[in-house]
Amino acid sequence: MREKEIAKLKDYKYGFATDIESIKAPKGLNKEIIKFISEAKKEPKWMLDWRMKAYERLKNLKEPNWQKPKYPKIDYQDIYYYSAPKSVSEKPKNLDELDPKLLETYKKLGIPLQEQQRLNGIAVDAVFDSVSVATTFKDKLNDVGVIFCSISEAIQKHPGLVKKYIGSVIPLTDHYFATLNSAVFTDGSFVYIPPGVKCPMELSTYFRINASQTGQFERTLIIADKGSYVSYLEGCTAPMRDENQLHAANVELVALDDAEIKYSTVQNWYPGDKDGKGGIYNFVTKRGLCKGVNSKISWTQVETGSAITWKYPSCVLKGDNSSGEFYSIAITNNHQKADTGTKMIHLGKNTKSKIISKGISAGFSDMTYRGLVDISLKAKNSRNYTQCDSLLMGNKCGAHTVPYIKNKNSESNIAHEATTSKISEDQLHYCQQRGLNPEEAVGLIVNGFCKEVLQQLPMEFAVEAQKLVGISLEGSVG
Amino acid sequence: MEEQLKIDFEKLLENSNFSKKNVEIKRKSFNNFIEKGFPNRRQENWKFSDLNQIISKNIKNLSFYNDLSKPNKIDQSIFIDSLEHNKIVFINGRIEKIEFDYEEKNKIEILDDLVLEKPNNNNNSLIFLNNAFVCKYFKLIVKKNYSLKKPLFIYNITNKDLVSKSINLKVDVLLEENSYLKLVELSNDKSVTNFININYNFDVQKNSILKNYKIDNNSNSNIKYYFNNINQDTNSVVEVFLLSSGSEFIKNEINCCLNGKYASAFVNGVFILNKSKHHEIKTNINHLAEYTKSYQLIKGVLEDNSKAVYQGKIFVNSKAQKTDGYQLSKAILLNDNTEFNTKPELEIYADDVKCSHGSASGNLNENLIFYLQTRGLNYQEAKKLLINGFLLDVVEKITDSEIKKLIKNIMSLKQ
Amino acid sequence: MLKIKNLKADIENKSILKNFNLEIKPGEVHAIMGPNGSGKSTLSNILSGKKGYDVSGEVLFENKSLFDLETEERAHKGIFLAFQYPLEIPGVNTNIFLKTSLNAIRKARGEKELDAIEFLKLVKLKAQNLKFDEEKLNRQLNVGFSGGEKKKNEILQMSILNPKLSILDETDSGLDIDALKIVADGVNSLRKKDNSFLIITHYQRLLDYIKPDYVHVLMEGKIIKSGGPELALELEKKGYENFN
Repeated sequence: MREKEIAKLKDYKYGFATDIESIKAPKGLNKEIIKFISEAKKEPKWMLDWRMKAYERLKNLKEPNWQKPKYPKIDYQDIYYYSAPKSVSEKPKNLDELDPKLLETYKKLGIPLQEQQRLNGIAVDAVFDSVSVATTFKDKLNDVGVIFCSISEAIQKHPGLVKKYIGSVIPLTDHYFATLNSAVFTDGSFVYIPPGVKCPMELSTYFRINASQTGQFERTLIIADKGSYVSYLEGCTAPMRDENQLHAANVELVALDDAEIKYSTVQNWYPGDKDGKGGIYNFVTKRGLCKGVNSKISWTQVETGSAITWKYPSCVLKGDNSSGEFYSIAITNNHQKADTGTKMIHLGKNTKSKIISKGISAGFSDMTYRGLVDISLKAKNSRNYTQCDSLLMGNKCGAHTVPYIKNKNSESNIAHEATTSKISEDQLHYCQQRGLNPEEAVGLIVNGFCKEVLQQLPMEFAVEAQKLVGISLEGSVG
Repeated sequence: MEEQLKIDFEKLLENSNFSKKNVEIKRKSFNNFIEKGFPNRRQENWKFSDLNQIISKNIKNLSFYNDLSKPNKIDQSIFIDSLEHNKIVFINGRIEKIEFDYEEKNKIEILDDLVLEKPNNNNNSLIFLNNAFVCKYFKLIVKKNYSLKKPLFIYNITNKDLVSKSINLKVDVLLEENSYLKLVELSNDKSVTNFININYNFDVQKNSILKNYKIDNNSNSNIKYYFNNINQDTNSVVEVFLLSSGSEFIKNEINCCLNGKYASAFVNGVFILNKSKHHEIKTNINHLAEYTKSYQLIKGVLEDNSKAVYQGKIFVNSKAQKTDGYQLSKAILLNDNTEFNTKPELEIYADDVKCSHGSASGNLNENLIFYLQTRGLNYQEAKKLLINGFLLDVVEKITDSEIKKLIKNIMSLKQ
Repeated sequence: MLKIKNLKADIENKSILKNFNLEIKPGEVHAIMGPNGSGKSTLSNILSGKKGYDVSGEVLFENKSLFDLETEERAHKGIFLAFQYPLEIPGVNTNIFLKTSLNAIRKARGEKELDAIEFLKLVKLKAQNLKFDEEKLNRQLNVGFSGGEKKKNEILQMSILNPKLSILDETDSGLDIDALKIVADGVNSLRKKDNSFLIITHYQRLLDYIKPDYVHVLMEGKIIKSGGPELALELEKKGYENFN
């Protein structure tokens, strides 16, 4: 079993590194570096001032330490905060100008950037280390008024929108990693859907960390104006490296009256080797604001990668009748650790939220669901339903459920259910009797366990996620 | 407050004759408490109930020395007369009566003047406070194979003389193999604004049964903290029922270790709160051996500005395969200013277990009220009937029929 | 096809099967009847490869020892067990389960795997034959199925997987008379000169519809009597208690 396990782990098929010349800012975190980043991106002064404000604020903040997975102290002066492929120091106007090595990289990752190679019209923004290298289908989106570009480009071309909304959901005064991101964020995607527009295709960003000793600090901002709809997908991978790399992203979503945002993530950062060496620290802040009445934000995540995953995609339900959803599958194997969940903050009347979380732990890993449901005094007639199920494989791993439930409103209802179980011997025997080998049987049962969440994913992602669920648990059946 | 603490502590040592060993331990505990102070919301355990704030808001000039030299008069009318029982009576923190009229004398032993345990690394500052200020620490032993014929009632009485004091009691109960104890604790408070801090240690050995019913029903302005530490050996059964209703603030903390195979613990409780009362139940059930079982059901009915908190944790270590753990909390919020906070937590390291928890809170089901109204009840009657049924569900879990009847009477629940 | 010699099986130091012998030739239908606790289910568990038993003796399937094979390998070789209590697998669509199972077996046999369309055609046909409600195939496997539906689902799976040796473990229990007939028809339609059946049952009722070639009476882990179909009737008349 052991050898097989090792062989399987070698199969992290995104573990290759691209040999490409890059421009890096010197290591370390200081005002000069922040200026360097801002200049490299040709940012206006207000943006630099904003970053500096965050940096000042950061000095007084401490890293949080309440989470279950502990990690060795990070030396923030020993990280590169900016790394960009040399060939894109000027963002290419079209794909023909893009470095073939980059095209090849994305092709290998299964994300062809040439539009004609895309199957069913998904527009992609490809972020490589600290910069966005290409955005596809821009023209087609332009026709309906949808803005989909890198955040750097948006800061230059749509400063009004960026200025109005950046930091409006995750303020500068938030926790350590969010504030760090505000100071040093490099690139990410920007989406604006104008009033009444249903975005004609899925939008997607593909994040790739390539350079070593480099942190990735992307920032994504999505604004759905009145009555609009958008579905957005995010994928991520990184090469196999012995060191731990920090990924501290901020994602802000704003939904105005009657707007809906669906945000899906398949997170497959390098998880480290079987002994827990290397892997990404995925410390991400994702928050959506249902600002308008009848607005809706739905998070779906499949978290299989990273050495440590630590994130709580949340919804602030401010508008009356707004609703938030969180669907999550988190799988940890070997020495991976995850502490993930959501926060549903009910502020408006008749607000609804739904949380479905499926956690699976195997090997020596540790998994925590942590969540908050907070119904405030004014959130009359609000509803929450939460279901957290955990599946354990073996007795060297742990599964924990830590929901915080606060109800200050007599006209609201909260229901929470949680279970922890294992795959029964009888279920396995039944599947094996029908000809499935133990790994296939486990894959099948686990996919069944996760079904409610997998169903939420857009078709193309769902198939990939299903495979990923199987692969992530390989080697965990004795 | 630190000044007052120091003065009172020295006064206590002066006026009592503790053994040298105990004085030493008390000093250590005292210093530990001084260092930590009353817990506040920055500690996870006290996140929903900031005791430091609650004490400073409710108690003016809290003092810690309590003269126990003079006996108090026992008001006989306080005793329950509907069922025969053994008695231990505390008045204002002083033991006034120990009476085991129904039992074989050599089967029960009471020890006092015990050596205190050394303070360990426990982060709970209130245990240190208790250790430092407790006067008589006593221990009840039920001998091997003995089942008490009648239940034991511990009356915790405070009278009008007691104002703004900190009372600390510490009781150990040892149930030797194959023994059986029903323990009812009734509090009756006529005093105002005291801080009452009680530590219980239950050691429940092989095949023994402990039934512990804690009743706090009389409205009073005291702030209370009960810490119950329970250790269970193989095949033992512990049943706890909490009626959390009378005091201004009360936190019942139950830390239960299921150390032996087939040990099982049942913890049930109800909050019935009005005005500005703020109550908490915190349970920590540790499954440390195979085939252990725990079941918890907590329900609350909240009115006015009251607030209830339930933090319940089920921990299962990797040895405790075949664990069965269940936990459910429900609350009805009758007013807009009430608040129900829960943190039902699972921490599991074994794969062959069945664990689940659930929590729900909200208002009364208006459809049900409407249904009852169509059957001729008025709104208030309908509401009462529904609340009655909601709470009865928990009370019905009490396995001792006599005591169940008593508790139903106290809660004025109808069948 | 199947040869069992001196099979002994213990579970947690309790002896369940003692010196069990049986031979089934291609095309034969054998019935094993016995009271509760006689070891009937243990036999089906052991033949299908369930873990947790201490076994000794010999079980040969097509002259190869079954003990060397994992459960799924036995399934690949053509052993099918219709479970007494079919398992529920939440979230797993019945059709997908069937397709995964069929293709795993086909693959192991070196046959071409069926694509979705070929598979659905096959299932539709088989389901119609068994009067199995096709809508149920889009539901989660056995979740919310009645006892009878679960049993019919087992027979549907059997007819799709087309095994060489089918073991029916108390498939008749919990079935009403209509469902019993459908199940029996399903079995009878699979009777061919190469396919064998081992029918494990408590009552002779099912044997009215599926005529066995041989009947064996199992008591306390041993076959105490073997004979033709008439043995079942005799057993029914006398009852297990007076039989010995």
